[in-house]
Amino acid sequence: MTLEFDIHGRVGDFRLRASGVLPGRGVTVLFGPSGTGKSSLLQMLAGLLPCEGHVRFDGHSWQSRHAALPVWQRPLGMLQQQPALFSHLTVAGNLEYVRKRRGGGVDVPAIVREVRIEGLLHRRVQGLSGGEAQRVALARALVGDPALLLLDEPLSAVDLPHRESLLQRIAMIARRIPVLYVTHSLDELLYLADQVWLMDSGLLQDQGPVHQALASLDGPLATRSDACALLNGVMGGFDEEDHLQAVKTGQHVFWLPAAQSRVTGEPVRLRIAARDVSLTRSVPEGSSILNILPVTVVAVTPCGPGQHVVRLQLDEHIVLARISSRSLRELAIQSGQRLYAQIKAVALA
Amino acid sequence: MLSDGDWLALWVGIKLALVTTAILLLLCTPLAWWLARRRVPGAALLEAIFALPLVLPPSVLGFYLLIVLGPQGPGGWLAQLAGMRSLAFSFPGLVIGSVVYSLPFVLQPLKNAFVALDQRQLDMAAVAGARPLDRFVSLVLPQARPGYASAAMLGFAHTLGEFGVVLMIGGSLAGQTRVASVALYEHVEAGDYASAHRLAAVLMVISVVLLWALFRWQRRAGAQARGRGDWL
Repeated sequence: MTLEFDIHGRVGDFRLRASGVLPGRGVTVLFGPSGTGKSSLLQMLAGLLPCEGHVRFDGHSWQSRHAALPVWQRPLGMLQQQPALFSHLTVAGNLEYVRKRRGGGVDVPAIVREVRIEGLLHRRVQGLSGGEAQRVALARALVGDPALLLLDEPLSAVDLPHRESLLQRIAMIARRIPVLYVTHSLDELLYLADQVWLMDSGLLQDQGPVHQALASLDGPLATRSDACALLNGVMGGFDEEDHLQAVKTGQHVFWLPAAQSRVTGEPVRLRIAARDVSLTRSVPEGSSILNILPVTVVAVTPCGPGQHVVRLQLDEHIVLARISSRSLRELAIQSGQRLYAQIKAVALA
Repeated sequence: MLSDGDWLALWVGIKLALVTTAILLLLCTPLAWWLARRRVPGAALLEAIFALPLVLPPSVLGFYLLIVLGPQGPGGWLAQLAGMRSLAFSFPGLVIGSVVYSLPFVLQPLKNAFVALDQRQLDMAAVAGARPLDRFVSLVLPQARPGYASAAMLGFAHTLGEFGVVLMIGGSLAGQTRVASVALYEHVEAGDYASAHRLAAVLMVISVVLLWALFRWQRRAGAQARGRGDWL
């Protein structure tokens, strides 16, 4: 169920050129600054914006040099920045609109429960909050029984407290339907991405799996001032006295502050910001920092005036450290060197 | 209350307004859609031409229509196909004249309603599997309903109230082309003020009721779907 494309077209003042293969599972995050053509690419793939080239999905041609499959025949679901619910219908009417046309064997009540809109079904869409409307729009997309979901910054009209729960829904849905997710938020990328694509000035680059994309010193993500490394782990025990939650990644245990205990064994992602990691030659005595781990330097690259980013190997994981160029010189850091990383803050992605 | 002749004139006027409005709604739907949703070269000039009946004196319009519909014009040629001498001074001719005369009153509300449609909703309907005609019926028509109501009411009321054009191209043939406004004019010409009063009052009441119904309906629809279908 892969989407394969090689397209180009005009968008406003610039040319958009993109080719790639969308994996048949998980979330591929299309990342890049605003105004670089991410939304346009999504609309071209959906067939809402004209372009040239070819698009194939699951062996079927969606677009070739000779013909384009109309939007209404492509088995996809879409969520845009604005929910764009059908304003003359109720919430239930919006779902029914899609079910009648697309969702032959779809279990609508199950989708309604999954997206948690049971209480909204008889409401008019004008009265919904941004978060509610976007959940309804997600349900509407799912009722069409899509083989592919195209999500264009779906959280931008959602108020902060409701973003996380919507992200959780999307992550769950991505286990059964491949998702192409457009965003310029690093937080959303860290939470959702399995694969990362970057877009800049109308050009698409495949960056591969998210852990790699974040830590690649050639790529733009590792040299950002808010660069992060991502570690897969599982929830460990909870220290009730100190309100600290253990997360095991391989043979290491990270301690992070938490208000309450989580389910032990639950797989989680840890994010470690490069600027929260400092390096020492030996284990410092009497440090207030909880997480101090032995690492090996892999590579170094400058990232802005007076700053360097160091790529570190922590067993099978990669961690980034952002340090001053002076520290780099004074510690004489070079690849292969063994150091200790003091990690000031670890958070769940 | 009214004489038989006046009732007949009133009926001819209403029949004319109904037929004209129906034709205009069918004609203006694609035209308004085209003007509102497509980039048309020379669209401004086209719109100016369609809006001419708003500013031209009805007698000017009527004069040109008379030439076009008369025996020497294309209307006369058409009429001969149907076994008539001329389209002028006939009910079909009057319908053609009214269609031209009332066109902007139907076109504009429809165009405004189509401009106000949310493109994103149309896109999402396409993604939901709706074909173009399906989208028009299931999304555009219900959302443009206030626009259609305005268009129908204004087209009907404006045709019912026309006078100059009818006088130029219709004359005053009882049961054929004599409408209420012309009958009223003739009562005044003949000095029959009592009949003129009664007919004028009936026309007045019809107009007020129509407009009142329109505004009342728009207020309700407007409360539900704000901003759609301003009436001119």
